[in-house]
Amino acid sequence: MPKVKLNGKEIEVKPGTMLIDAFKQAGEDIAHYCYHPGLPTAGVCRLCMVEIEGNPRMQIACNTVVTEGMSARNNSDKVKEAVRWGLNFHLINHPLDCPICDQAGECGLQDQYMKFGKYTPEMSEQKVKKRKVVSLGERVVLDSERCILCSRCVRFTSEITKTNELGIFNRGDHAEIGTFEDKPLNNNYSMNTVDICPVGALTSKDFRFRQRVWYLKDASSICTGCSTGCKIRVYYNEEGLFRIKPEHNPEVNGYWMCDKGRDIYKHVNPEARLQEARWGQVGNWQVKDIAEALREAGEAIRASVRDSHHSKVALVLTGQQTLEELTAAVKFFLSDLNSRDIYHWINNPEEMEKFDGLLFRGDRNPNTKGLLSLLASEKVSATWAQLEGKLNSHEIETLMVVGPEDPGVFPDLAAKLKLFAKAKRLVWLSSARVAAVDQVTTATWQIPLKSFFEKDGTLVNAQGRKQTLRKIATLIPAAVSVDQAVAVMSGREKAVPMGKFELNWKKTNFFVGERGSL
Amino acid sequence: METKLLSQHYDKPEYVSLKGYLNLGGYEVLKRALKMEPKAIIDEVKASGLRGRGGAGFPTGTKWTFLPENGEPRYLLCNADEGEPGTFKDRIMLERAPHQLIEGMIISAFAVKSAKSYIYVRGEYQMCIRKLEKAIREAYDAGFLGKNILGSGFTHDMDVYSGAGAYICGEETGMISSLEGKKGQPKLKPPFPAVQGYLAKPTIVNNVETLAAVSLILRDGAAAYRKFGTEKSPGTKLFSVSGNVKKPGVYEVPLGYPLADLIQVECGGLDPGRRLKAVIPGGSSAPVLTAEEAMKATMDYECLQGMGTMLGSGAVIVIDDSNCMVDLLKVIMHFYHHESCGQCTPCREGTGWLHKIVHSIVSGEGRLQDVDLIPRVSRQMMGRTICALSDAAAMPAISFVEKFRDEFEFFVREGRSKVKGHLHA
Amino acid sequence: MSIVNKPGAISTWYLPGILSGLWLTLKYMIRNLFDKKKMPTLNYPEEVYQYGPRFKGNHILTVKKDGSIRCTACMLCATNCPAQCISIVAAESADQRVEKYPIKYEIDILRCVFCGYCEEACPVDAVRMGPEWQTAGLNGSSFSYDIQHLAYRPQLKGGILSRVDDEERHKFGI
Repeated sequence: MPKVKLNGKEIEVKPGTMLIDAFKQAGEDIAHYCYHPGLPTAGVCRLCMVEIEGNPRMQIACNTVVTEGMSARNNSDKVKEAVRWGLNFHLINHPLDCPICDQAGECGLQDQYMKFGKYTPEMSEQKVKKRKVVSLGERVVLDSERCILCSRCVRFTSEITKTNELGIFNRGDHAEIGTFEDKPLNNNYSMNTVDICPVGALTSKDFRFRQRVWYLKDASSICTGCSTGCKIRVYYNEEGLFRIKPEHNPEVNGYWMCDKGRDIYKHVNPEARLQEARWGQVGNWQVKDIAEALREAGEAIRASVRDSHHSKVALVLTGQQTLEELTAAVKFFLSDLNSRDIYHWINNPEEMEKFDGLLFRGDRNPNTKGLLSLLASEKVSATWAQLEGKLNSHEIETLMVVGPEDPGVFPDLAAKLKLFAKAKRLVWLSSARVAAVDQVTTATWQIPLKSFFEKDGTLVNAQGRKQTLRKIATLIPAAVSVDQAVAVMSGREKAVPMGKFELNWKKTNFFVGERGSL
Repeated sequence: METKLLSQHYDKPEYVSLKGYLNLGGYEVLKRALKMEPKAIIDEVKASGLRGRGGAGFPTGTKWTFLPENGEPRYLLCNADEGEPGTFKDRIMLERAPHQLIEGMIISAFAVKSAKSYIYVRGEYQMCIRKLEKAIREAYDAGFLGKNILGSGFTHDMDVYSGAGAYICGEETGMISSLEGKKGQPKLKPPFPAVQGYLAKPTIVNNVETLAAVSLILRDGAAAYRKFGTEKSPGTKLFSVSGNVKKPGVYEVPLGYPLADLIQVECGGLDPGRRLKAVIPGGSSAPVLTAEEAMKATMDYECLQGMGTMLGSGAVIVIDDSNCMVDLLKVIMHFYHHESCGQCTPCREGTGWLHKIVHSIVSGEGRLQDVDLIPRVSRQMMGRTICALSDAAAMPAISFVEKFRDEFEFFVREGRSKVKGHLHA
Repeated sequence: MSIVNKPGAISTWYLPGILSGLWLTLKYMIRNLFDKKKMPTLNYPEEVYQYGPRFKGNHILTVKKDGSIRCTACMLCATNCPAQCISIVAAESADQRVEKYPIKYEIDILRCVFCGYCEEACPVDAVRMGPEWQTAGLNGSSFSYDIQHLAYRPQLKGGILSRVDDEERHKFGI
């Protein structure tokens, strides 16, 4: 373990560490743009300059491996001057777009100018004009003028996705990012280029102009888009959720996530959600108090068991809920109802095992592994064919379905609902508002569930790794988690703890209190 | 003493063909060298003190010893991408004596145990490429190239690769990128090319003149070679003299030759009635020398370094008093602005900025503070980038402004050139 | 400085004080009857006081030469507003040189404290505070000023031109 001295601070690092990582490890500020821990070194921004003892020339920290006894500093006047000028060079051709630039507020140029720059600009010549608002693909927009040519996005497409869509064209200060012959950048990881872009050159079409970033609060969570379970950061304010970015998790997703996973906020926002408990059937729906609806549904289920010698109830589960919720539902059937009619609804059987080699998996349920191991440990072995047979012969009186959180990944939804409607009564629990459910021809309770954003729990990803989901806020006051619902349905509880609309992180102006501190 | 070692037979047209070359003693050294130990050749080159003729002046023998002994295939690249404004010696060498280079390259390849070499020729040198290709074909037919050369068991293949017009591909790692089929951009060092170069294999990159000189050293021995030149800069060197002299051209003189003699004696002096104003001694990227400095300078690595400039590729640009230094700097800055590869920020933005500043001075829109801004911007570009193009742009800018400040200030104040009779006057 | 008025003997008589007060009233009443010009009060709303052009009253959104709105929806005014009375919804413009513009710009004038920070924060001289000061309205909605009101109300006579011109900016490549 080499010992190094950075700005006079002595620390021990792993052998082979890059000097820039050592600086970060030591908690020392170091300016940089092109360096990204998940990408190969490019060494082109020339900002991470350090003075290494015994070397007359300043070196870049991102391409220097630490050696035993190395002593480096980046707080000398010489380095500070070099960094200041480095920023100056970056900014001389950078347009004054900050007011309309989506990156403003989380921009590398703004942050590092405030931290390391603060020089008086002397450039009085005309700036280089380049292309603006270029659509690179379905999700990404390029503004060449803002680009500082750090080549992070180019390295991402060549080294991570290996799709090589992006390249740097032309030479000198006319160089710009582009796609060859305007072939679109449409791979499933294209939005990572937006994340790693240190300036506003690459922006997301989905998020573009919808919010200023300083109005957003963020919280860590787990992606429920597929069974990989990437660690994500959710950005939201009182108007709803706005975007999702990956967070570093070396065990699961590294620094990246797929574009499909970034859409999961869309089915959490209230407009896509089942807002209240409802009862009825096609053409005749009435809104019910959530506790009342649950009590009625519970009574219906228990009545179906009481009235018959053999089980006339069935439970359908998906891998979309947390382990705790699934366990509560299974326990309700096994111990309260003494029924083993528990079925696993596989939404896309032919894609379940698919994996693109990077992150995205064909199994679009975050907790399939958890559900399977739960069913296995309870020795539930009912097959879907059995359920189909029972429904077709109208054996099932009351069917309880814990439905999808994201109906978009259930291509068979409408077909399955037709099958479910063969039961006399249907208890449909889902966080999403599904138009097909409103067309159901049998007596149905629709119970709103909480989304991943609103509940605690455990998800088991495809690696078999247990990941904890944390509640961030409540969006739908009436929504319940499955375990809360089951508690009322089984008669143990009389009411559910009503949630409160809690997305009350005000979209506010935190600069007012800090006036003058900038 | 005859000082023409390389260019001894350059005036004979038959020297271009294999027959003529053989008649004048060609490939004799190769036959001897193939019987030597590779190690002995390297030691001989080391002993001769031969320094790289491309610009940096790094000792060639030392460079060869950097190759790692790991059994990986090695490549020898000949840098004939002569792009520096003012330099044209490689072109003469390739046009007049392609076999001289090929012989030197085979010997060098044998010394560094390389089975494949490339000659990366500047794209504009179409005639050189044709002559080289013909010469290589002749060498293959005569058994100097290919499998089991002259029964020595040494196998070597050689190819010519045409550049596409980028100055930066004359930088060794830029050249390697270009050769690999990528955009011609210098690579980060470390790893150095000797460890990981072309196709990530150990690679030696040498200039045309360096490789040709290797066969001379082996012909006469290191001691004889050392008789020419100075202690630290032994040997002879080709100088491409251009500018306001009567006889511009390529001249071979020993290193340490006085610059004044080169201009006055070899090149026949300046046009009548003209006074020497400045000399750029080593290509456009070398800091300029004033007339007084130039009269004292000798053409070797140490003396010029002591004067704050460099020998570079040996391109002497003679500037008389009919030239405006501001206008000249604009031309040089335009060149570097145009040729910056755009990889490192200080160079990409800095060369453009410098060009724009000088351009605005020349178009009469300069401000007095711009004259100070040029060296300040230039200093921040030096030593901050992957390759030396940034330095190459900054060094002349600094020296021009510092040594001819009055001309810059006059231009800013009056909006016209100080030189009478000049286009901008 | 504090002034201590010691009650004198005369002030305990009261009557002189009352009479001098009544005399003052009477004096101004008579003066106003004969010389209306010197009268300091205005008969609002028939007569309206005109403040100076630099008075910071009701907001104005400036326009460009072509009459479109100058605001780029950067939301710095909304961010800076201590009363949080500005709400903006941005959208992508079909004109690539404009890129971003507001489709909704509302000022809740009842919450506004007329501090002028919005004007100060604006990087493109898009929002100004003008000399108009009357904010009276008949119902709640008339206190919420939208783009139509802020930029094109009849008093502005087709809009106030912004000092920051995009064409100029593009020409000089800033």
